[in-house]
Amino acid sequence: MNSGESRRPGWKSLLLRYETLLFVVLVAEWLLFYHFGTTTNRRGIVVGFGTMDRQFDILRHSCEIGLLALALTPVIITAGIDLSVASLLGLCAILFGKFHFDAGMPIPIAIALTLACGCTGGALNAALITTLRLPPLIVTLGTYSLFRGLAEAITHGAVTYTGFPSSFLALGQGRLLGLPVQAWVFLGIAAGVWLLVHRTVHGRSYRAIGFSPEGARFAGIPVGRRLATAYVLAGLIVAAAAIIYTARLGQAKADAGMGYELFAITAVVLGGTSIFGGTGSIAGTLLGVAAIAVLKNGLATLPVVIRMNAAEEMSGLMTGALLLVALTGSIVPGLLSKLRARRQPASPTPVQDPA
Amino acid sequence: MKLYFREVSVAVALVVLLGALAIFAPAFYQPQPLLSLLTREMPTLVVACGAALVIITRQIDISVGSMFSVCSVCAGLLAASGWPLVAVLPASVAIGAVMGVFNGALVAGLGLPSIVVTLATMVTLRQSLNLMRQGEFVNLPDGVQWFGLGQFAGQWTIVGAALLVLAALGLGMRHLAVGRFVYAVGSNAEAARLAGVRPRLVTFLVFVLMGALTGLAAMMNIVQSPQVQPLSGAGLELKVIAAVVVGGVAISGGRGNLWGAFAGLLLLACVSPALTHLRIEAYWEKAIQGAIILLAVVADGVRMRKEKS
Amino acid sequence: MAKFMASAPILELRGIEKSFAAVRALRGVDFDLFGGEVHALLGENGAGKSTLIKVVTGAHRPDAGTLTVGGRTFGALEPGAARHLGIACIYQQPALFPDLTVAENIGLRLEGSGSLRRVDWRARERRAAELLSRVDADIPTFAEARSLSMPEQQLVEIACALGAGARILVMDEPTASLTRTEQERLFAVVRELRSAGTGVIYISHRLEEIFALADRVTVLRDGASVGTRAVGEIDEAGLIRMMVGREVNQIYPPSESEAGEVVLSLEGVGCAASGVSGISLEVRAGEVFGLAGLVGAGRTELARILFGVSPADAGTIRMRGEVATIHSPADAIALGIAYVPEDRRQHGVILEMPVEQNATMAVHRTLFPGGWLRPRRERSLAAGFIKSLSIRTSSPAAPAGSLSGGNQQKVSVARWLATKPKLMILDEPTQGVDVGAKSEIHRIVRQMAREGMAVIMISSDLPEILGMSDRIGVMRGGRLTKVLPGSSDAHTVMSAALGQAANGGSS
Repeated sequence: MNSGESRRPGWKSLLLRYETLLFVVLVAEWLLFYHFGTTTNRRGIVVGFGTMDRQFDILRHSCEIGLLALALTPVIITAGIDLSVASLLGLCAILFGKFHFDAGMPIPIAIALTLACGCTGGALNAALITTLRLPPLIVTLGTYSLFRGLAEAITHGAVTYTGFPSSFLALGQGRLLGLPVQAWVFLGIAAGVWLLVHRTVHGRSYRAIGFSPEGARFAGIPVGRRLATAYVLAGLIVAAAAIIYTARLGQAKADAGMGYELFAITAVVLGGTSIFGGTGSIAGTLLGVAAIAVLKNGLATLPVVIRMNAAEEMSGLMTGALLLVALTGSIVPGLLSKLRARRQPASPTPVQDPA
Repeated sequence: MKLYFREVSVAVALVVLLGALAIFAPAFYQPQPLLSLLTREMPTLVVACGAALVIITRQIDISVGSMFSVCSVCAGLLAASGWPLVAVLPASVAIGAVMGVFNGALVAGLGLPSIVVTLATMVTLRQSLNLMRQGEFVNLPDGVQWFGLGQFAGQWTIVGAALLVLAALGLGMRHLAVGRFVYAVGSNAEAARLAGVRPRLVTFLVFVLMGALTGLAAMMNIVQSPQVQPLSGAGLELKVIAAVVVGGVAISGGRGNLWGAFAGLLLLACVSPALTHLRIEAYWEKAIQGAIILLAVVADGVRMRKEKS
Repeated sequence: MAKFMASAPILELRGIEKSFAAVRALRGVDFDLFGGEVHALLGENGAGKSTLIKVVTGAHRPDAGTLTVGGRTFGALEPGAARHLGIACIYQQPALFPDLTVAENIGLRLEGSGSLRRVDWRARERRAAELLSRVDADIPTFAEARSLSMPEQQLVEIACALGAGARILVMDEPTASLTRTEQERLFAVVRELRSAGTGVIYISHRLEEIFALADRVTVLRDGASVGTRAVGEIDEAGLIRMMVGREVNQIYPPSESEAGEVVLSLEGVGCAASGVSGISLEVRAGEVFGLAGLVGAGRTELARILFGVSPADAGTIRMRGEVATIHSPADAIALGIAYVPEDRRQHGVILEMPVEQNATMAVHRTLFPGGWLRPRRERSLAAGFIKSLSIRTSSPAAPAGSLSGGNQQKVSVARWLATKPKLMILDEPTQGVDVGAKSEIHRIVRQMAREGMAVIMISSDLPEILGMSDRIGVMRGGRLTKVLPGSSDAHTVMSAALGQAANGGSS
């Protein structure tokens, strides 16, 4: 390691480089769509990618998946995974509707209760993972079915809650200080999670656990409790996402957010967080979310894609391809650091004369 | 026996469920609906066999649903364009195998984590398919449905073929050296290498086999209806992983067997008809399946804890 | 020795070179092994022993040089080819398949590589049972390997090597986790193999084993062979001189501190799950309490009880006179107990994390009040330890894994010094550490005592126990059987550990 980097740990500098790369890709993507996706229609009005409306749309649509990605980042840093986030989103949306309409609660109380339910869902995952030491992949696969199943059972697979008051819908459809309202919520939560992961002892513990749970335990870190907070926090953020989702669409259905977990995981991994735990950053996740969101919305403005009527598919395809490229690229720094780690313990250490 | 605790307990649960049905809903045992139920589950069984192998090697493949859809549509298009069935079947298997080669090359060749690789191929394949087909169904020509054998014979053919695959793989995993190599790689890849096994090759081949089996399963599926649905494989990946895990295959690799996976699959598959026959509303199906998965892993966790102390 | 020189060697290495990135791990090593001899390989950590044996077993491909096995010359071996040539290796950490039965573990090693052949389960069972009885191991063939203890796993490894009919057997620190009787049994097996004409390459850090077992010894230093000697022609001091390039007198820093108040007192402490019972002892401030005993005597288990990893279920623990309940490492830390664990790479440090973050990991609560990280405080704390413990690292931000073993150990020690403990428990603090770092660690231990800490030092290195301890506790079979003064001689401690003159318990 050269002296110029000596103030920064090796993995972090690599990560920073990766994030910089991702940022460049994102800007290039944006410029590309700006150039090819912005047109002037017959009446001389600018339409397509270059409009503010479109940019707000991008923000609006990326909030829910972005929140799920934020929820997943700490979990994946601990070398865990949560497949149940999108199902929990569905369940929370339904519960919110039920609290408001069937139980007649005012919106703020319904929101508070929904957030509590999200935490409970996360706590269920946490309890199974930490007290019984079960693999997160399987536990959350089970709750993936369970949460969605409960949502379907509660609604009998048919009920849709609609007719929320317009003051509530503003949360998902209105603007505040020039930005969509949910963007503020998203940014607030992102800032909170960023602080947690990068600036607190909790975040440090997540990394330690992600690298080596036994090592963390022997350092006196309460591994079980720390892990539990990651999953409960995920539940809380998911519940917030469910409320925003309901406000944006104006309805709560049992299939809310179906399949979002895969996009969220894609965003996190694209953002440079290692699925093996330990390394990862919130900035990376945000860039990953943005890259996917811009891609999705940008493609929809390209004339070619509009002609083919294939915006959804193209964006999915490109996301998958992007992930494959990022993955293949990701082994390069890994190989480098492996070489470095192997090299140094093998080098002879100078023997000191015992005094 | 202690080693087969899980397989036995799943089998017992299955027997209890079937027993309850025999008492409270004998209608379940009408031969034709039962055969239809079994036939419907057979493609899943074939995919689950592959998934069990993948998980035993300590990998995971969540792209099977997309591969299944791609194989189904491709096979349907080939059949629709006049290929004879004897040619469509190997073509479908080959298409699956090629996708397996891709996954296997990335996982075994480049050493990338399988969950992310197959997540990427899952999204890519599914969206490519959507892009090409725009959700369009493929109408199959006459003579494809039930392999042109009529429903009854066709159903038995499918059930027979799937059970044959299960038996061949199940016995092979137990009694052929290569089957034990799969366990060895999943249990301790480095030790396997030292014992002269080539872990990367084994992992690669397991992914290829997974693809080929998915192609075969797709074929078993499309002959059951006059049209091919482009989304027929949606959600299949989690369904098979659930079946395999409930059947006692450990996600940490090296443990479990195909018989357990079979029992797990039947248990989960019986939930829906059991609900109907026991007059419980059907929308509980997913929740109950989730509960069964959790119950299975919790039972494992509790048992592990007891063994330790 | 003449009797070997008469015949051709069964293994001959000439000019073996191997580099990892820019580091030359082996620089032109020559080595030969005759049938019917035990040839010890000696060297400090990082001298290239492991790399060399991995070249022999085919795990590494050398960059240059040749291997001649049984008259055939190769540029490199594959693991499979090495096996066919009759080369077998018993690694320090047994490489078994935890999910498979003992019989299958043995079968997979010994059967050919044909992949489509049928597995004969009965023959597997029979062969496994036969081989296990040859190494005198009482292990059921149907047990899963994960349920075996470490020595049992090692015996399975040896059974494999026997079954392979190995003509060249490599043993990499095989006794590291064995009890005395298991060790004797192992030696008997090795001698039997030798008389049957097998060549054994034996790696060990314990010189007395080399003198007990080996015929010749080759010393490696910095990836090159320093020389090969017949064991009869050299003594311990000579070997150490060859290893380090000059004479190192194993002088231990003298004890200078006075024992003060009682810090830790145990009364009948035990934990059924870890097989420790009836431990009563007192440790005072400023004293080094050495804990001797054989591996498996319950010393690490006792340390883990005190650190709350496996909490006590019997007896009373008092810290500075007050009854303490320790259910978790956090409890222990709060009471001023620190534990530098035995397994450095798994437990002692987190290899991927920076040195400074490793150093502060146990003081999160006090260093970062309110839970907010303070990078500057962290940096200055770490820098202080890097200086005072002379930790050699390129930067405080370098990952701990990039340090040598001895320096990793110092990071682990720094982490616990940072907690300003009242009681410091060191578990094999110098195991696998080179000679220079070893004496630095001894100096640090003395420093701890001088500053008024009570130190419990677990060690399997008898001279270290004798040289460092103010008092010596000897454990056997999960009990503290004797407490001896620090001036005891090796014979007394050893016989107490072996239970030979054991007529008094800890009462």
